[in-house]
Parts: sequence; C-alpha cells; structure tokens
Amino acid sequence: MMWLSRLLTPLAPLLACIGLLCVWQAASLALDTGSFPTALEALRAIPDILGDRGSLINILASLRRMAIGLALAVLIAIPLGLLMGRSRNVAAFFNPLLMVIYPVPKAALMPVIMLWLGVGDVSKTLVIFLGVSLPIIYHSFQGARAVEEKMLWSGAAMGMSASRRMLRIVLPAALPEILTGCRTGLVLALITMITSEMIARQSGAGNILFNAMDMAQYDTVFAMILIVGAMGIILDAAFERLRAMLVRWSDAGRAIPLSYS
Amino acid sequence: MTRIGLKHIVVAVVAATVLVGARPATAQQTIRVGWTIPAEESKYWMMKRPTEFPSLGKDYNIEWVQFQGTPPMTQAMAAGALDCATQSPLALMQGVTGGGLKAYIVAQHVSEKPGSFSVYWAVKDDSPIKTLADLKGKTMSVNTLGSGILGPLAILLKQQGVDMAKDVKLVEAGFALSEDALRSGRVDSAVMNQPFAARMEAKGGTRKLVSLSEQQPNIVHILEACRADFVDKNPELARMYVRDITAAMKKVLANREETLKVVNEVMKAPIPVLETYLLKENDFARDPGAAPNFPAIQAMLDTFTETGMLPRKIDIKDFRHPTIVAPIQ
Repeated sequence: MMWLSRLLTPLAPLLACIGLLCVWQAASLALDTGSFPTALEALRAIPDILGDRGSLINILASLRRMAIGLALAVLIAIPLGLLMGRSRNVAAFFNPLLMVIYPVPKAALMPVIMLWLGVGDVSKTLVIFLGVSLPIIYHSFQGARAVEEKMLWSGAAMGMSASRRMLRIVLPAALPEILTGCRTGLVLALITMITSEMIARQSGAGNILFNAMDMAQYDTVFAMILIVGAMGIILDAAFERLRAMLVRWSDAGRAIPLSYS
Repeated sequence: MTRIGLKHIVVAVVAATVLVGARPATAQQTIRVGWTIPAEESKYWMMKRPTEFPSLGKDYNIEWVQFQGTPPMTQAMAAGALDCATQSPLALMQGVTGGGLKAYIVAQHVSEKPGSFSVYWAVKDDSPIKTLADLKGKTMSVNTLGSGILGPLAILLKQQGVDMAKDVKLVEAGFALSEDALRSGRVDSAVMNQPFAARMEAKGGTRKLVSLSEQQPNIVHILEACRADFVDKNPELARMYVRDITAAMKKVLANREETLKVVNEVMKAPIPVLETYLLKENDFARDPGAAPNFPAIQAMLDTFTETGMLPRKIDIKDFRHPTIVAPIQ
C-alpha cells in the first residue's frame, strides 16, 4: 500500500483536476442546457484562445495590471501591517478604516473610482490594489504582533534603533506570515483582475470572457474560466516555491502546498 | 548615487514637469468614445479598419473604451470620463434627468422599421399562453430590469388588462440566457434579440407572442450621443467623428462580407453565427446615413414618461445640434 500512496501523492493535484472535469462533463450531459457546455467543449476552445494573438495581448494586459496592483500592494501593505502590529496608535487609527473597506466588494467600487480616475488602467489597478492590500496588511499585522518582546528588548539592548529593529527583527520574524498574506493576495489579485474589467475596459481577459458571455459563446466563457484557473495554479505554485526558498528556516507545514510530494 | 546627483535629478524632473505643464494649450484631438456589443458595426469598422477613414489617426484620434451595457456609459459621460458613447434613448434620458447630463444625439446605430427584426417575447410551442392576457401570474425574462424595452411592454400588457408591476414576475436573464431559461421552464416567456432569436428559431419548438413593433413602430435601440460641452468646445473634432460614423455606416451596408469579418474580429462570434442574421431581413434596421430618427425617439420618450420610467416630459429638440448630426458628408 505504501508504494501506491507514494505513486498517488504527487499525482493528487492532477487527479483532482481530472475528477472535477469528469463531474463537470457528467453534469453538463445530464443537464443538457446550451449555457453549460461540456468540459470537453470548453477544453477544445482553449487552443483557439491561446492561439489568437489578440487574445494573448488581452490576457497579458490584464496580467500587467495585476502585477502592478500586486506590487504596489506589497510595497505599501507590508510596512503598514508591520507598523500596525508594533504600534497600538497606528493600529487604532487604521483598523476602523480597514474594517470598513474589507467587506466591500471591490468591483462595486469601480463605478465610483471611474468617476474620479477615469476609465483607464489606473482605476482597474486601484481596484486590484484594494483587493490585494487587505489580506497582506492583516497577515503582516499578525506576523508583527506575534514577534516575541524579548527579541526586541535584546535588539534595543544591543543599541539597535526602532527602525533597525523593525527591519532586522520584526520583518524576518513576520516573514512567514507576510508571505501567507501575499499568497492569499495573489489569488485575490487574479479575481479582482477579472472583476475590475466587468464595467469598462480597453483591453484585458475580460474582453474575451464578457464578450463571449454577451454573445452566448459559452464554450469560450468556460475555456476562459479554465485559463484563469490554470493561471492561478501556476502563479500559486511559483509563489510557493519562492516562499519555501525565502523561509527555509521556518516550519514548512504552515502553508498549504499544491501537493505534499 | 551622490547627494548632488540626486539633487540634479530632482531639479530635472521638476523642470520637465513645469515645462510640460507650461506648454501652450492646444485643442483636444483625441475623443474618448464608449462602445459595447453588439450592433455598432460602424464603430467596429472605425476600430478595425482605421485606414479606411482618412481623418482618423491623422487629424484626430479615438480612445476606445468598451463597456458592459449603456447605463455605465451614461455615468461615465455624466462624470466627464467619456466624450461620446453609444446610448439607448432611456439610459441617455435617465442620465439627463437624474445625473444632469447635457448631450447631443449625433448619430443612430440600429432601430426597428416595418419588416425588420423587432425585439419580441417568445413562449414554448406547447405553452397555454396564447395572448398577453394569459401572462397574469407568469414569469417573463427581460434583458435588464429598467431596460428601455419595458416601456412598450408595459403599455402592451396594460392594453390587455395586465399590470406589469403587479401581475407578472420579471426576471433579469439577459438576452443570451433567455432561450435557455424558456426551454428549461424557468420562465414562461422569454425576451428575444438577435442573434439569439435566429438561433432559437432554427432549433424550433417556440413561437412569437408579442413584438415591440406592435406598440410603436421604428423603435430606436441604440444611438450615438456626445456630451454637449465637448461638442460646443470642439465642434470640428465632433464633426470629423460624426462624418466618419456616417462613412462607416455606408461601408457597413455596402460590404456585408467585410462587415462580417470586422464584427467577427471585435465580438469573436463565429462568422456562421453572424451569417444567420447580420444585415439580413431578420436583423435590425440601419439608416444608410446613420441619421437619428428624432420623431421616433420622441415617441419612445413619451412612452417612457407615460409609464413612469422618466420623471418628466422631454423634448427631443433640446438634444439636436444644428449642424453636428449624421449624415455629415
């Protein structure tokens, strides 16, 4: 039985995907409705999308906005979360603001943001930034708060300034938690990348997805959902490798890997 | 980097910013235009075949922004984020009455005319619903709640003793999903538009219950509107744009084969699907000069006022520029 387990464990993600596709295929055949294509029909539409130069440009445009939104969120949210974790005053100031923004669906802000910043890339990047920032702030906050006081006292006793303590003690200690937040943020960035294109767009994956939906080209709609899902898996797996590399010293079991192989 | 080096860079950036900001004011030469799908073939030509239009790209540019439906474009125009956009008569006038938007109707995309396609509600062949009176207590699909097609529907239902607000349940299914909703029994009557109507009719098993044309002829579905302040400030730019829309509409109607290719490039809908209806007898009507049908729009606005969809009577003359209106040759 051990050999079977050893064989199956690395294949688990693939088997899960195949299982899901089989359930989808069966459900579609059973329902027999035009708006729910079979998994095979959706898979057959993928090469058409990925083989079309215009579609690739659209997908890359979305990914570019996602990368900018995510990068800005990382640059701003991590220092803010760390500060909130180490300063009661900062936390007291920002917590209520964050609690107000957290439950608001970020795509719902799009019409309002559009009024201020227009209908271009800036609005969409801001929506992605807002969607991604909150989990990163929260995890950075938790990570910074969990740092043992004794370590900070030791640092102070060794003559480290507050900013150096933050950089040399708090940041490394909170890094596993921060990276967990970044991982959540990465997935949210993909979601908000698509939803930010729902109302207005000049280019993007939403062009393919929402146009196909308007024209009842459901095989293309579901193919795009699969492509976005695949992008999520690839980005998550890549990030997990980076995370494992950056926090080798920490407990590896803290994260949920794609596979336990 | 040395401190002096950094200082130099900062000074250079500030100087560049000041110089850019101090450039003499030039007239706007780019129009921000909102569009959507389907049925804006003249704009699709301008997007995908810009070289066919001598002024486009030389004397002026267009920044195209795609929207999901016309109401968000109304908001964007009211906010000054768009100069011109596709509008339905109702969405535009709701922006006027509720959002303080001032605009000119400069062209028309598609409408209905006797013999053309008219938006209709379908039922299944074996449905007990034979007349509009049979819809009492039934469920009807609509494209969007608050859509302009509901005004004529409300009047048609009222003529048969059915109160749209109380006697029927309206479900927002969109045009694309309506056939599915009807066939699966989730709605008793489904709203139909092209290309979905052509597809459904080809499959069979359904019949037409009522068309919008039975309430009023020549319904205008989508038109082109520009912000009044934009047109007043940039009349030449607006004139060039409307001239190109006029020219594009001619190309749409003159070269169906190329139009099918253009639409396919924009909407990614397969040409065999477009072939079933686009620019055929079962499609909407298009004026050869993209001229707005102001009397028909006025009749629609009166219907909207009568059914409470607009808060007050509106005179369409207020939305007509003396010279900047299609056709412009």
